This record gives sequence, structure tokens and C-alpha cells, in this order.
Amino acid sequence: MLYGTAASEGIGIGRVMLVEEHSLEYTPKTVTDIEAESQRFKNAVALFCDNTKAQAENLRTAAGDKEAEILEGHIQMIKDPYLSGEIEKLINEGQCAESALEHMCDMFIAMFSSTDDELTRQRATDVKDIKIGVLSILLGKNEVKISTAPKGTVIVAKELTPSMTAGINKDNIVGIITETGGTTSHSAILARALEIPAVLSVNGITGKLAAGEQVIVDGSKGEIIVSPDDSELQTYTQKRRSFLEERRELENYRNKPTVSASGENYELFCNIGKPDDALKTVSADGEGVGLFRTEFLFMERTSVPTEDEQFEAYKKAALILKNKPLIIRTLDIGGDKDLPYLGLEKEENPFMGFRAIRYCLKKRDLFKTQLRAILRASAFGKISIMFPLVTTVDELREGKQLVEEVKSELMKNNTAFNKDIKVGVMIETPSAAVIADILAKEADFFSIGTNDLTGYTMACDRGNSNVSYLYSPLQPGVLRLIKNIIESGRKNNIPVGMCGEAAANEMMIPLLISFGLTEFSVSAPSVLKVRKAISKWSKEETDKIAEKVMQFSTQAEIENYLKTVI
Amino acid sequence: MVSKQLVLTNAQGFHMRPASVFSGAMSKYSCDVTIRFNGNDYNAKSLLNIIAACIKCGSELEVICNGADENEALAEAVELIESGLGE
Repeated sequence: MLYGTAASEGIGIGRVMLVEEHSLEYTPKTVTDIEAESQRFKNAVALFCDNTKAQAENLRTAAGDKEAEILEGHIQMIKDPYLSGEIEKLINEGQCAESALEHMCDMFIAMFSSTDDELTRQRATDVKDIKIGVLSILLGKNEVKISTAPKGTVIVAKELTPSMTAGINKDNIVGIITETGGTTSHSAILARALEIPAVLSVNGITGKLAAGEQVIVDGSKGEIIVSPDDSELQTYTQKRRSFLEERRELENYRNKPTVSASGENYELFCNIGKPDDALKTVSADGEGVGLFRTEFLFMERTSVPTEDEQFEAYKKAALILKNKPLIIRTLDIGGDKDLPYLGLEKEENPFMGFRAIRYCLKKRDLFKTQLRAILRASAFGKISIMFPLVTTVDELREGKQLVEEVKSELMKNNTAFNKDIKVGVMIETPSAAVIADILAKEADFFSIGTNDLTGYTMACDRGNSNVSYLYSPLQPGVLRLIKNIIESGRKNNIPVGMCGEAAANEMMIPLLISFGLTEFSVSAPSVLKVRKAISKWSKEETDKIAEKVMQFSTQAEIENYLKTVI
Repeated sequence: MVSKQLVLTNAQGFHMRPASVFSGAMSKYSCDVTIRFNGNDYNAKSLLNIIAACIKCGSELEVICNGADENEALAEAVELIESGLGE
């Protein structure tokens, strides 16, 4: 089995077609007939534009407007008056069209690649694609033709350029494997739009597979099986069938409200880690963000991010979400998440140590900077603040006090922010779960973090295979805490959400509905699945199930029972 | 020569589509159009130059027009940026 990045869901079974880029080498020469050379370049550009336009139209029918726009962008780029002007200048100085083109394209590729902005870096791929396209025409070489690939082809390439992807006939191509590219690359986006399973970033794959070899591409898991045996083929054919059936069915839940069979409405949000993930939330049909982890801003750098840097990131997410809710969790650092520049001491017991809200309440400058950035961003969207790892009501009070301090500072400076911003608690410690009735009187909302809550309650590390059997939100101990949290919230009229993995667990969903959860926050790919799962249940049915479940004594009994009803 | 200081407000910053809308609109004018950002000057009729400038949402920039139709060009530039570049 070979592993890579799972970039487009689904299972593909087919035969390898190696897509090798032909050589675009040439010997630069000095041009004497400048007018002819300039005309040769213009002709090549005109032909490139015609080809690209045709590819864009094909792609529009196969995948959609957004995907076609990527290729139309190539036409706009090559028609850039600055680019063509500079190339003309170089030709006038006696350079041949090939080297003039390459010189200018390489300059922009270098400029785009050196920025710290992911979207700008991606544009470097577009310029590379343009360079290859126009060079191929100038050198009289045909671009690789994927469009003629036979039915059941798995494309294997070093890198899939957008123009290559455009030649894909989705009836014939069943899978894509490449050596480079991540989940946000054009190839990945196009593969998902075309609904072709894709595994990217597989080291040295073009050297490992031979043309015509049979392979299974598991784009959901990022796995590749080379020359599968009969039983593997059977298993994956079955997997493929059920995947396709499920996908078809889930699409019926897109652009619909999240509502139970008995008509109650629920909020269905996504968990994100970066501002750009908000785009995934929108395209996955999430109704907001229930957990924005802010640690990413502090990682992979050598100093604390400035207020403005943080403000930009929070504001960006808010603007992408338009007026959908966005719950920002304040810094959850310490524990297993260390940042060398903060100079945290090594601890004997980091999970019970100096971390999250405990750390922030001691490092007030750092905490207030983050709160100020969040508050300033709250002028641009429906932002709430959430404190992680709360164990006492004092922590909530102190945190809220700091929010008020920052608010009055902002008011003095006439800086815009939402004065009614909600401040909530992430309930992820047994203590917070037990005193939920106390916390609910002073918090604006709760969100249950089931991953840590389960770990702390069962006193078990799920990464430790000797004890991981204890780790389950269906343990009677964990369920009792969850029930108490939700009921305490309900009694005090505050909304209670869940942002841990349990929110997308089909066995948990009927119990959460019965307890009275109002918001489910899940990973983007789970949105439609959870909406479907919620739609199956009426409140009455879930109450019966929950009543029964709460009478069982062991996790095994609970799980066995739930399996019979879902 | 005329110029104006502006703040970019569209969520995605000056990326492919907004940059293409802007450079396309500016190309209609005969005057020179320059974006001054972070101390550097960028040719505003060039899509690639605008992208290379990597101007993010909330950034301050200056549009400078110089030539026969500079007033018309600046008026359209301001309107485009203030309206969020068709986002």
C-alpha cells in the first residue's frame, strides 16, 4: 500500500496511464528578423488563447463555472499588457520568443512563490501552466492529450496542471495520482469538482507504477493499492458502490435547513483552523463556524503575532462567512502544543498543567492583545468569544472582566466593535461539566469539547493503545456529564453546542437531540451527513432512546443497543 | 497627476478576479495608472503586477493616475475599490 494526501473523496479502480511531460528544451538563439519573431510570438499567444478557451468551455460543462474561470484566468494573464509589452521589448533586443517568454514567466513565478500568501503562491502554478502551454506551441510540440484516455484510466503524473485537468473526460478517468500538490491545489479542487477520486503528494509515484498496471485509488483515505488481488478488488468494488450511493443521497440535503423529523431546527456549523477554511465551510454548506481554533496564528513562527495580524485573520474569516456566526476560541496553548518562543517550562504533567485559559489569565498582555483583535473583528461579522479549558467560575469571571477592560479601551479610542459580543465557555473538563449549572448563570453559551472531556473524564490517553478502549463518549460517565451540561444550559436559557468529534457520531446524535443540544459543529466533509442523520429523528423517538440508554450500566450495552436502532 | 488614498475592503484581497476586474477597467484609459502599496509602485493595468503586490483586505493603498484622462480613470478606480471590486 502507498500513501499520499487524500485530495478528492471516493474509490477508483483502473489502469495506470503515465502522463509524462515532454521535453521543452531549446537552444536560445539571437533573432535577426525581429518583426517575424514578434509575429511568431503573437500567433502562438492567439493559438494558446483559442485552445484555452475551448478547454474552458469543456470544463464548464464537465465541472462548472468556477473551474472554467481558472482557465479563463490564463487567457487574462497572457493578455496582460505589461507581460506582452516586456516580452516584445526582449524580442526587440534580439532574444527569441521562447527565451523572452520564459524570462518573463519565470520572473512572475519567482515573485508569486516568494510571498507569504497561499493564494498568491498558487498563482505561480498558473503562470507555469501558461509558460508550458505557449512554449509547447512555439516549439511545435503537442501538449499531453489526456482527453483520448480509454475508459477506466487512472492518471499518474508528477504534477497535474490545470490545462491537463481540463482535458479529462470524467466518464473515462476513474482516479488521479500525483507526486506534488496538496488539498488546496488546483488539481485537488478540480478533481473534487469532477468527482474523481484523487491521492496527491505520493513520493516518487511516477517511478513506482508502470503503464497499464491495475491500481485502486482510495481518495477518501489517501491510499493506493498496486496490483490488487481478487479479495481486495471485491472489497473495494463494494466500497465504491456504497460511496457513490451515499454521495448521491447526501446531495439531497444541500441548501436545506437542518431540521429533525418532528420539525425542530438545529444549527449545523463547522470547525476550522485557518481563515481560509471558512471558504470550505461555505462550500460544504455549513451554517457558521462553531469552533475557530486560533493556535495556527501562533505556530510556525518565532514571535507572538501582532494585534493587527490577528485582527486581519479574524476579520477575513468573518467577511468570508458574511453574517453567519463565528465562534473564536481564545488561545489553547500549552499541554501538547508547545511554542518555543513563549518559553514554557517542561512539565511533568502537561495536560494538567499551565495551559489554555490558565496560561492566558497569567499572560494578560498576550491575552488582551488577542481579545482586542477579536473585538475589533467583531465589527465585521457575527463573532463570539469562547474560553477553553475552564474549570472554575473564577476563570470565566476573570476572562469576562478582561473582555470588559478591552471594550472600554476600544471605546475610548472610538474603535468599532460589537458591544453585545457573546462570551461562552468550552466545556471540556469534568469540573466544568459538573458545575455547568453555576457556569450557565454567567456564560452566554456553552460548547462541549467532547475530545478532551472524554479523555479527562475517563483519565485515558486515546493515543495509548493499552488504555484507548476506555475512550468513548458513549461511556455512561461521559454521557451523564454531557446530559448535565446540556440540561443546565437549557434551564438557564443559553444555547449549548458541541464542537468535538462526537457531534458527528451517528450513535450520539439521537441522544444529543433528546438532551436538548441546539448546535452541532463538525468538520466540513461531515455537514451533509450530520444534516441527514438529524433529519431521521423525531424528538419523541430520541427521548425514548435516551431514556433507555441512560439505564444501561456499560458502554458495550449502550453501543449494542444504539446499533440496533440507528 | 491626480491620486487618492484608499482602503481595500473585499474579503479576498487583490486576488485573481478583483485584480482582473481592476486591471481590465484601467486598461481602457490612456493615462498611466499606478498602485502605490508598501512603498512600491505597481502598474495597475497589469493583472500580474497587481497579484504580485499581494494586497490583502484592509490594506491602505494609493492610486495614482497621470495623463490626459487621469480624472476619469481615478474616478472609476475609486468607485471600483470602494464598491469591493464586484465581489
